[in-house]
Amino acid sequence: MEKDNREVLLEVKNLEVTFNNSRRNKGFRAVKNANFQIYKGETFGLVGESGSGKTTIGRSIMRLNPISNGEIWFEGKRIDGKISKEDRRDVIRNIQMIFQDPAASLNERATIDYCVSEGLYNFHLYENEEDRERKVDEALESVGLLPEHKSRYPHEFSGGQRQRIGIARAMIMEPKFIIADEPISALDVSIRAQVLNLMNKFKEERGLTYMFIAHDLSVVRYFADRIAVIHNGRIVEVAPTDVLFKYPLHPYTLSLLQAVPMPDPQIEKAKELVVYDESKRDFSGEKPTLQPIRPDHLVFANDREMKEYEEKLSLMEKDIV
Amino acid sequence: MFKKNNEPLKATKPVKEIEIDMNDPSLFEFQRADDSASEHIAAPKYSYWGSVFRRFFSNKIAVLMLLISLTMVLFAFIQPMISHYDHMVAPNINNSSMHFLKPFTKGFIFGTDNRGNSLFDSLWSGTKNSLIVALSATFFTEFVGIVVGMFWGFSKRMDAIMIEVYNVLSNIPTTLIAMILVYALGGGFKQLIFALCVTTWIGTAYFIRVQVMIIRDREYNLASQCLGTPLWKIILNNILPYLISIIITSVSRDVPAFISYEVALSYMGVGLSERYASLGKLIQQYSPYMLTEPYLFWIPVFASAVISVSLYLVGQALADASDPRTHMI
Amino acid sequence: MVNDPILSVKNLEVKFKVRDRVLTAIRNISLDFEEHKVVAIVGESGSGKSVFTKTFTGMLDINGEVTQGKIWFEGRNLMDIKDDKGWEEIRGKKIATVFQDPMTSLNPVRTIGYQISEVIMKHQGKSKEEAKKEALELMTKVGIKDPERRYDEYPFQYSGGMRQRIVIAIALACHPKILICDEPTTALDVTIQAQIIRLIKDLAEEYQFTTIYITHDLGVVANVADYVAVMYAGQIIEFGTVDEIFYDSRHPYTWGLLSSLPQLGLKGEELFAIRGTPPSLFEEVKGDAFAPRSNYSMKIDFIKEPPIFDITDTHWAKTWLLDPRAPKVEPPLVIRTLHQRMLDMTKKGGVYGER
Repeated sequence: MEKDNREVLLEVKNLEVTFNNSRRNKGFRAVKNANFQIYKGETFGLVGESGSGKTTIGRSIMRLNPISNGEIWFEGKRIDGKISKEDRRDVIRNIQMIFQDPAASLNERATIDYCVSEGLYNFHLYENEEDRERKVDEALESVGLLPEHKSRYPHEFSGGQRQRIGIARAMIMEPKFIIADEPISALDVSIRAQVLNLMNKFKEERGLTYMFIAHDLSVVRYFADRIAVIHNGRIVEVAPTDVLFKYPLHPYTLSLLQAVPMPDPQIEKAKELVVYDESKRDFSGEKPTLQPIRPDHLVFANDREMKEYEEKLSLMEKDIV
Repeated sequence: MFKKNNEPLKATKPVKEIEIDMNDPSLFEFQRADDSASEHIAAPKYSYWGSVFRRFFSNKIAVLMLLISLTMVLFAFIQPMISHYDHMVAPNINNSSMHFLKPFTKGFIFGTDNRGNSLFDSLWSGTKNSLIVALSATFFTEFVGIVVGMFWGFSKRMDAIMIEVYNVLSNIPTTLIAMILVYALGGGFKQLIFALCVTTWIGTAYFIRVQVMIIRDREYNLASQCLGTPLWKIILNNILPYLISIIITSVSRDVPAFISYEVALSYMGVGLSERYASLGKLIQQYSPYMLTEPYLFWIPVFASAVISVSLYLVGQALADASDPRTHMI
Repeated sequence: MVNDPILSVKNLEVKFKVRDRVLTAIRNISLDFEEHKVVAIVGESGSGKSVFTKTFTGMLDINGEVTQGKIWFEGRNLMDIKDDKGWEEIRGKKIATVFQDPMTSLNPVRTIGYQISEVIMKHQGKSKEEAKKEALELMTKVGIKDPERRYDEYPFQYSGGMRQRIVIAIALACHPKILICDEPTTALDVTIQAQIIRLIKDLAEEYQFTTIYITHDLGVVANVADYVAVMYAGQIIEFGTVDEIFYDSRHPYTWGLLSSLPQLGLKGEELFAIRGTPPSLFEEVKGDAFAPRSNYSMKIDFIKEPPIFDITDTHWAKTWLLDPRAPKVEPPLVIRTLHQRMLDMTKKGGVYGER
């Protein structure tokens, strides 16, 4: 296997997250045995539908919910479970999150000044009051807002502006790694491009690494370098973006791709609908695992399915010039 | 501030056309707008408390109730300072011509009772004492209830214990426990207030806990956790402001409730000790005269009803006004 | 121009009272809806698209009012209806609405079957047994398997997509003439979305209703629409057949919308983004509402509101660029090559193509 000499920033091993209702038996396994790595400087896309567990993975990395099994490593140090206060502090300084709902992710009763400065206050990351104000002004300007907005309240802004405030709040902490949990799903179509461009700008300027959680494959195609597809708590396929789109193997990936609406009437109206029905699949044989079919392309399959995929893949590789 | 906005919406009349020369070719030259101009917010700044008070004062009934309750409270605290009324003392007790005077005779606004004491004096003194009890009990119940409730809503470990505490305490009738405690500890102010609070705080705590649980998992609280904000700061800055409207509602229910408790307890003889007048005590003392000298009975009853209802309505209106959702309309 | 439209809106104006200020949400819209066709209304939030359709069923928020205009339906002006009782004939019966969020559209404490039957009994005066029979038929029509058993279940036992199917069933219970779908698939997963869109299309065929689709997703529009109305700041700024709008759009805002689609983006390139934010409708809009954000604005755009310019029989736009005196402007490259790019992507072996 070709060894990447890129630096691994985040590593998730055998992650399992079960939510229980304190009734001993019943537990909802939101994430089942997730394994992946994120390299420094890349944008890693995690795509799935609602209930697939993608948000849970993101939140588990941020230590917002406990995990039931597995390990999460950041920069070579373990960050899940019980860790020291310094390590917890490091996590917060290095990893930040952008949330989905601009209406719910800001404290409605606090001014923008407080919203953006919250992290600074917590760790006293400024020398004096002027320094703090300057940082806030810079952060607001970097997302295209005006310093005069500091004294306003979140509800006075549009959804797109609120999302930009959320980004400013995360960026002011100067993190290395950003988990963006569906950052544009709740925004208007014309505003999405604004926010995506902004995120790209920060990526270039600051050498950030992103984990981009989304349900919209077309956005992820534009933004991500590598993509993992998750379905029902399980990662079913991982590949670099162009590889995933050129050679998708897992039937769920296929159905996702097919479902993306194309803004072209002639094409859309002629489209055939493909429905992925898990109950119709043949799971006979050994238990499937996430295995590499090519060095950079993993798919969740058992040995029999792997053979099928290998055949299919060879055909596709020959077809496409 | 008092302006009401009841005018119906009017249709836009077509504007008189601005005189421009449509043949001027420069009109069709490209012109780009200033980029930052579109980020500028035109609306005036929003002020939370400004909107609260504007909404409150536009409610005429609320303002009326506020005036009534303020008047009563002022009288209750100021009048006794002037009259130096002492419930234990009855200077006219031997002068039977001063007994049972009807209201507005011989300068006694509310008349006199069986001992020749002015009902006006005893009423305000009684109201003062009842208010002290009710307001203090409300304060302690709310304070303890809110603090406990907020931590309770957040901590899952605390939840398991507190639920059991709640199940026990909430089933003990307040009146019963208060009677026992007053009997055991005596009828002073501190004892009565304590007796009233001892079971009621859990109700407030539970109420707050439920509200906290509703907003605890909202994204802005998760964001605060991601930024490293400690729990006490999250509670203070994120949760508490949301609860203002709810807390005011709770307070506006508690005050009349405690007035009623005091009235009931004193009526049964286990409220404040004999030394103090209180609304309940007066009602109890004068109930034998309900039919013969009705003014002695009904004036204290009326007074306790008015103070309870007016404080309650003020509280409700304020709670309504402090809910930010009502600021939109 | 539409002959004998099923719904005809003339010079509609809607205002809202917010605190002490007045918001003009709809600023003079005239539109005809052709029977049995699908009209998609596209716009950002705040453009007024939901408000627009709420006027057809008298469901404006309490602080809103139609201050001008007429809505002709079945020979009468719906603006003559003054109270809720008058709307009962129309709402749910002749004009039905499917809303965005299936979780809040259904009553959580009543069974699914009850909610469908109730509507049938109320509007068609049928008996309980007849209503149940019809409800079961409807459930099958909208794709619920095993309707007998699921009739007695509660909304929480249904998934989001299935709940939306039920909402559609309820909307269709009285065979409405017009079905308004207000972002019906936005809250659903993309695979379910495709199924729901297909369902609505099939039902429109069968039940012969006119569909009004409100959405911001141009991919959905491409799939379902016969006609497209593009809304901005309370007005319709462009209207045409779906082919005209996608392949021959003329308004800079439409260009902006189409350009900013991530499907068209190339990795590494900046995505085209319309700069700025929509104008505040609390203030009077001077000139063309989109001018401050447009790359093609001219001096006149800031002074005078553009009139409607006809392009074809079915296609018109409100932009001074169509005035004969305006400089000739080509749509951006990405628009001109839209169809080609899409074909490339969906051909065999392409990014979204067949395997």
